[in-house]
Amino acid sequence: MHELSVATEIYRLCRSHIPDGCAARLERAKVAVGELSAVEPDLLRFAWEAVTAGGPDSGTVLEIDWRAAAQVCDGCGEVPARTPGSWLSLCPRCARPMRIQGGQELDVIEFSYVPATCAAEGPA
Amino acid sequence: MTDVAVRQRILTANEAAAAEVRARFRASGTLVANLISSPGSGKTALLEATVARLQPRFQLGAIEGDIATERDAERLRRRGIPAHQILTGGACHLDARQIRQALDEARLPELDILFIENVGNLICPTAYDLGEDFKVVLLSVAEGEDKPFKYPGIFSRAEVVVISKIDLLPHVTFRLDDVRAQLAALNAGCRIVLTAATTGAGMDEWCDLLAARLEAKRRGGFG
Repeated sequence: MHELSVATEIYRLCRSHIPDGCAARLERAKVAVGELSAVEPDLLRFAWEAVTAGGPDSGTVLEIDWRAAAQVCDGCGEVPARTPGSWLSLCPRCARPMRIQGGQELDVIEFSYVPATCAAEGPA
Repeated sequence: MTDVAVRQRILTANEAAAAEVRARFRASGTLVANLISSPGSGKTALLEATVARLQPRFQLGAIEGDIATERDAERLRRRGIPAHQILTGGACHLDARQIRQALDEARLPELDILFIENVGNLICPTAYDLGEDFKVVLLSVAEGEDKPFKYPGIFSRAEVVVISKIDLLPHVTFRLDDVRAQLAALNAGCRIVLTAATTGAGMDEWCDLLAARLEAKRRGGFG
C-alpha cells in the first residue's frame, strides 16, 4: 500500500507551497499518474482521504489525471489501440517489436486553496 | 481561492535523497544495484552465490530490506560481507531516505559493489529511486512466465532481468520465449540473464556483467 506514502508526499508538497502563517484550507489537488507508475488511482484516492481526514483539509478533492502509456512501432509508425491493462507483443500491422512511450508520470500538477487568515496579508 | 501551479514530481523528496546517495557512490566509485522481485524468487541466494565468486576480488556489501527479521543480512554476513538490515515494519518498499540513513548508521567500508535487496514486491518499489546505478528484477521460473505484462512498471524499468532457478525448468511449465517476447515489448534494451544459484548456472555471466558495469562506471561511462 505504497499509495499512502505517495498521498503523504502530495499533501506535503501542496502544503509547502502555501505561505507560512497562512491558515488555509486546500480545496483541490490535481496530480498526473502514469500507467507504469505502479500507483493505483482508487487506492491513491483512498489514501488521500486517510491523509487529510480529521484536519483542516478533510474532504479535499484529489483529481487524478490518468496518463496511459502508448506502444509505438518505429517500423511503420503505428500506435495501435489496446485494451487497458493489456500489452501487445508485436505491432499488429508490421509484426515488429514496439517501444513504450510515456506512462511513468507521477507529478503534482496544481492545487487550489482558500486563504482564511494570512499573517502575510496583515490584519483584515 | 488561490490557484497554484506546481508541476513537480510527487516523489521529489525521495529523488533528492536518491541524488545524495548517488553522488556519494559516484565519489567512491561504488556500483549500486537495486534488486527487486516477488518474495522467494531467490534474491538472497543470488547474492550468496555472487559473493562466493566475486569476493575477495571485489569488496562487496549489502543493504537488506525486509518487513521483519534479520535473516537475509545474517545469511550474507555468514558469507563474509558487511550487510545492514533495514526493517520496514510493514512498509512494502524501500525509499532513498532509508538508504541514506542506513549508510550513516551502518558505516560500511569502501565498497566496490553495493547490493540493495528491496522488500519482496513487484509493485511498490517501482517508482522509488534509491540512488542505484541500475535496477535488477528477478523472476524465478516457478512463478510463471506471465509476470512482465502483469507488472509492466517494474519490468519496463529494469536494466537487467535475471530469470532465476532455471534448474527447475524441467519440472515447471515456463515458456522462456514468451518472457523474452514480453520483455521485448516493454523494455527492448534490458539484459536477460538466466541463473541457478544452487548449481551455478549462469553465475559467470552475471558476475561478468557486474564486473563490466563496475569498470564502466569507474571509466565514467555511467557516472
